[in-house]
Amino acid sequence: MKPSFLRFLCVLFLVPLAARAQSAGHPANQLRFCITSQPKTFDPQLVTDDASETIRYLTGGVLVRLNRSTQQLEPALATSWQVDRSGRTIRFVLRHDIYFSDGTPFSAADVAWTMQRLMNPALHSPAGDAFRSGEGRVVTQVIGKDRIAVTFPRPVVGLARLFDQVAIMSASSPHGGMAVLGPYCLAKNKAGSWLLLKRNPHYWKRDTAGHPLPYIDSVRIDVEPNRDIEVLRFLHGDIDFINSVDAMDYDRLKARAPSTAIDAGPSLDSEQVWFNQVPGAPLPAYKKAWFASTDFRRAISESIDRQALARVVFRGHAHPAISWISPADKYWFNARLSPHPFDPHGALRLLAQDGFQLRNGALYDRGGHVVEFSVITNAGNLYREQMATMIQQDLAGIGIRLRIVTLDFASLIERITRTFDYEACLLGLVNDELDPDAQMNVWLSSAENHQWNPSQKTPATSWEAEIDRLMRAQASTSDLSRRKAEVDRVQEIVFEQEPFIYLVNKDALSAVSTRLRNVRPSVLRPQIYWNIDELWLDASGGGKR
Amino acid sequence: MGTLSLGPDPRPMISLLKFAARILVILTLGGFLGATLVRLAPGYGVDQEELDFRLSSSSIQFLRQADSPNVSLFTFYARYMLGLLHGNLGYSRNLQEPVRQLLAERLPETLKSVTLALVLGWMAGLSLAMAAALARNGLLSAAASLLASIMLCIPAAVLALLFVDAQLPGRLVLALIVFPKIFQYARSLLNRSVALPHVLLAHARGAGGLRILLCHALPVAGPQLLALAGVSVSMAFAAAIPVEALCDLPGIGQLAWQAALGRDLVVLVNLTMIVTLVTVLANSAAELASRASRGGET
Repeated sequence: MKPSFLRFLCVLFLVPLAARAQSAGHPANQLRFCITSQPKTFDPQLVTDDASETIRYLTGGVLVRLNRSTQQLEPALATSWQVDRSGRTIRFVLRHDIYFSDGTPFSAADVAWTMQRLMNPALHSPAGDAFRSGEGRVVTQVIGKDRIAVTFPRPVVGLARLFDQVAIMSASSPHGGMAVLGPYCLAKNKAGSWLLLKRNPHYWKRDTAGHPLPYIDSVRIDVEPNRDIEVLRFLHGDIDFINSVDAMDYDRLKARAPSTAIDAGPSLDSEQVWFNQVPGAPLPAYKKAWFASTDFRRAISESIDRQALARVVFRGHAHPAISWISPADKYWFNARLSPHPFDPHGALRLLAQDGFQLRNGALYDRGGHVVEFSVITNAGNLYREQMATMIQQDLAGIGIRLRIVTLDFASLIERITRTFDYEACLLGLVNDELDPDAQMNVWLSSAENHQWNPSQKTPATSWEAEIDRLMRAQASTSDLSRRKAEVDRVQEIVFEQEPFIYLVNKDALSAVSTRLRNVRPSVLRPQIYWNIDELWLDASGGGKR
Repeated sequence: MGTLSLGPDPRPMISLLKFAARILVILTLGGFLGATLVRLAPGYGVDQEELDFRLSSSSIQFLRQADSPNVSLFTFYARYMLGLLHGNLGYSRNLQEPVRQLLAERLPETLKSVTLALVLGWMAGLSLAMAAALARNGLLSAAASLLASIMLCIPAAVLALLFVDAQLPGRLVLALIVFPKIFQYARSLLNRSVALPHVLLAHARGAGGLRILLCHALPVAGPQLLALAGVSVSMAFAAAIPVEALCDLPGIGQLAWQAALGRDLVVLVNLTMIVTLVTVLANSAAELASRASRGGET
């Protein structure tokens, strides 16, 4: 063979492989990060998914903003606000000379229009549902250009805080919902691939030196469903932060670039397992009887080693869960509750009370049925699969055989919300709300998200009736100490009855490039960019954050 | 997906019409089967937002009604086909854009990737196969075989991840997926061709390697290589799905991946039909070319 032919082959293989990825030259003052899916809507009042929430947070202007670091409300478009004694009316004083991104002036009429649209029952807005404490119309009273009062038919607990979720829309802009009051506005959307946000030229906020905010000119958000790729891109410097990383990636990042990995401490999120207690579920009667037994549920809870779950599965970046309110929620968490014990012997004693017997390493119920059941969880979530495996081992210790079934998320939801064809389910709760009132739709027995037995016409058990009463009572008063006492009691009932067996509260883990400055990580979403208008990019890269 | 046979019909118009009719039937069936599979898959019409605890019962019911299939599969498909006749490809539920617009944005990207993959894959595969067939020592042949075997063993997704990690252009992954198959088939065909008596005779009479290859071996292996060309197009298209999804290439492969995850029925039906069309056309074109190269024999 001639050398020229060999040279040709070498060139053929080596040239393309040597060609480095032509990363399109990123503008210097552009922030880049990833979201896992395309936003389902750009209508700020119809946001239900995380991706849409990201766009709403970055583009929407709100009357009051929750400081994710201090967990206190701060003035935004409203300079002050006051909730009246009845807890039904809130009055705002608005800023002057504010304009939407398209130059349309902002006034109290826009707030009134936003609230009327938000509270329209036909819109089915999740942000609107949070305000819905009773039947009736919401009344907005515009008191001049910069003052407005909003009155709800029934008292709304934590009323002012809920306005953190309400992006004010223009009543008169020809651009409709695309005219925004937040730091950025949507410039381009390549559906399923990326979105580009540009600085809002009319953004109202300035820094202490009087410079207009935000500091960063544009934000490019890539749609990247694969978390491994997201981490790789972060390590290559292609993106500036990952808002939420899992424990394994956190350790990987910590090892490779220690200054980029951030553990902000326990989050409000929890992982839990529950038994199907739906009366009409397609399960044998004896299994329904097990799952309805408090002793059975408590025995399962006591046989699970939560410390080991936190240590092994989450590599120490999680804490054993105690209640439905995370200890990170310092005000509402019931500090009188002590952690659930890991006590397999105690679990067997509880089971014996219900007539269960351990024979030759297997547990039998009164009717002689071997105690075995399946737990479903979503496929592809390594942590839940590992937790299920460890629980399987723990339960084997008390003679229970657990089968693990991983399902595609949509199939899993179909089973837990429609067909009820499952025995136990292991899932997590993503929570951003400090106020327990936000979880009304979980704890009321009539609610759709009362997962173990949803949409009950009347409470199936006395303790569920008691929870209903307490949750309704706390929602009808603005007396904080009374509310705290009632929520504490709900936590105690849940601790005793364990309809949800809470396993761990994960830490809020993030990764941030050293070139991104003024970052103040929080356990509340959005953990990294909640102060987006104050973040800036350091071209030199290194140094302290 | 079978290869279309045009038949020995002497009337070209009728043959063409038959060919078009067969493509239409295959496309219609392919699209319908795709739609059926998606529609019957567990979890179709279920949205994870239902678990959002902020939502009231009436909002959850509203979400369920909006997501649930309110028409039968046959009605859906009939409406879809009717829309198709008017150039309406439907609306993506996940991406909230007309499918026509999505395809217009993404198809060129995939065509670029697939074309590059085919050009590079064929150049590399065929060149190495030719070199291996002509090489006097077995070192080059062994090295090329080893390389091809390694490439065959590595799953497309892993290869894509390696490229992302190494920050290499993702499009090259497709070429590396096409290359080993081309190399293996082409080498085997060329080896058989160079072992034919008349080729050996030409060699014994002192004909040069390149002359043997171009004048004797390639013409013999030509029809099979053309058939391989058709298969390689389908192969590259199929590989584009994981590769584009992992390498962040905004083509129809990435779109298919997202549509599958989100059970975006309309997008999936369109993509099924596109892949079916490409496969059928590529295979038919390869068969036609193969026949033409054999001088019209059937």
